[in-house]
Amino acid sequence: MIELLEIFVFGTAMGGIFALLASGFSLIFGVSRILNFAHGVCFSISAYLVIYFIKEFSVDIFSASILGIFFAVLVGFFVYALTKYIRHNVVMVIIVTLAFALLVEQFLLLSFGNRGLTMPPFVEGIQVIYENLRIAKVRLLAIAIAIATLLALEFFISRTIIGKRINAVSQDIEAAKLLGINVEKVLIATFLISSALAGIAGILYAQIFNIYPAMILRVLIYAFAVVILGGLGSFRGSVVASFIIGYIFVATMKTLGAQWSEFVMLITIVAILAVRPTGLFGVKE
Amino acid sequence: MKAIIPLAFLLAILPMFVPSAYLYLIGLALLFAVLVASWDLMVGYTGQVNLGHTTFVGLGAYTAAILQLPARIGAAFDVHPIVAVILAGVLSAFFGLAIGLLTLRLKGYYFSLVTAILPLVFMQKVFVWRGVFGGEEGFSIPSEKILVATTLEKYYVAAIFAIISLGVIYAILRSKIGLRFKAVRDSEELAEALGIDTTKYKILAFVLSSFFAGVAGAIFVNYRMTVAPDLYDVPLMLLIILSAVIGGLGTLWGPFLMGIIVYLAKNWWLTAFRFGIVNEEIILYAILIAVAILMPRGVYNEVKEKLRRFAKS
Repeated sequence: MIELLEIFVFGTAMGGIFALLASGFSLIFGVSRILNFAHGVCFSISAYLVIYFIKEFSVDIFSASILGIFFAVLVGFFVYALTKYIRHNVVMVIIVTLAFALLVEQFLLLSFGNRGLTMPPFVEGIQVIYENLRIAKVRLLAIAIAIATLLALEFFISRTIIGKRINAVSQDIEAAKLLGINVEKVLIATFLISSALAGIAGILYAQIFNIYPAMILRVLIYAFAVVILGGLGSFRGSVVASFIIGYIFVATMKTLGAQWSEFVMLITIVAILAVRPTGLFGVKE
Repeated sequence: MKAIIPLAFLLAILPMFVPSAYLYLIGLALLFAVLVASWDLMVGYTGQVNLGHTTFVGLGAYTAAILQLPARIGAAFDVHPIVAVILAGVLSAFFGLAIGLLTLRLKGYYFSLVTAILPLVFMQKVFVWRGVFGGEEGFSIPSEKILVATTLEKYYVAAIFAIISLGVIYAILRSKIGLRFKAVRDSEELAEALGIDTTKYKILAFVLSSFFAGVAGAIFVNYRMTVAPDLYDVPLMLLIILSAVIGGLGTLWGPFLMGIIVYLAKNWWLTAFRFGIVNEEIILYAILIAVAILMPRGVYNEVKEKLRRFAKS
């Protein structure tokens, strides 16, 4: 019972982190049909920079986090600029974003080394919930931050003008243009928001696990599992799928060991594609 | 097809002029060029972006290594290296068939997404069963279990394999099957309207390309006498993509020749550029991004176009 509760709490934390990561990936895909293989760069760069700022300039963790997210947004804008003129060419977009991701990975490898790095936590200590049920406070905080951010995003997309425009462009780009929506501006906004979300996800992830350069691509496995399960381009689908993937991830880790999680993700993806290729909430293209 | 004969002749007499240390590298470059050409068969000719070509390279490599050294899995049987190499290709092809059946029947981006994560997942098996696959170090195969021993023989094995592969791929692309691949790439709707089973031809191209990747991986193992997870890894994948894109997708010759040049550049000419936070990989990735943005149709096509325009004026 205690085990199950632990898996539930830890899985919710991981699900929240995956949701922040994957919803950005899904938003960019929805608006522009770009498969952004550089999404993991925003994730990793913010975590690495936070660690770097704390170590080198002894900045406190909260200001460091804001700086880290700011740089993630800059990277997002850079990826937007890189793909601006080749957006219609699916092959080239994949190649450019993948090459950029590997370039940054090499850069991190050369400047920080191949070891895993840890980030000092926002809050120390363990919360005793009930006798034997003890949970690191960081994980509870990760859940709170992730859910608050997701709620804010939901509010942003469904209530604000920019959010409604993002929604309109991802539903039908031609119709959106006819209504006088500046698609380019919407796309920039989407890239910036998605990168910020990935940056937050990276920092929360680094609070729980070590972070190492290969994360840049490895983390995409989970993002892909989420978007395939939730349906490509569906925001709510991604959020629901994230929590399912989070529970699968933690359950795998606790029972088989962390090195099996990639295998289990692949099996999950293959199973979804075999049974229900459009995902839980996807629409037929 | 005519150009293959002089190429074969050139490769046959090359050992007379080149010292054996460079010959060793050139042989590896030829094997790599086969990977690029077989990737182009799938991506350049049917238009489906396969990001997991190295899955099949690694699968072939480890299959051949285990078959030639069955003691790793505690079995005792003797497989001739040539049989091991061919079986490696067949297993890769079967695996390609399974993945293709699952993902290529779906329209859109699923194929790219799934193939993108395959190498990452398969590399993990090396770490899970460290005892069998040897972890990140891999394991080496004793020279008496290897296909051929000397550098010269290895070079000729690589050269013959490269020539045969190029010839076979060329013949496939020239046949009716090749025309259907191109029809699928240029307009899937139109191809379907003409009665072409597009899914079938996509899967066929994928299986063929996986077969060549698997055999090439197995020969890589026999060439280097070790097997290591770098054959699965994403940098190798991007190097393949880089060569094919600069060479010009869908031209076969472009990717093949550019594969040789890029491999030699990375492992020979560019190794001088290692200082601070720059190494040869960073330079290659930067070149790739620049080429993809400035010449999205590939250097081969853009240069050909320029020459044609120049000849007209």
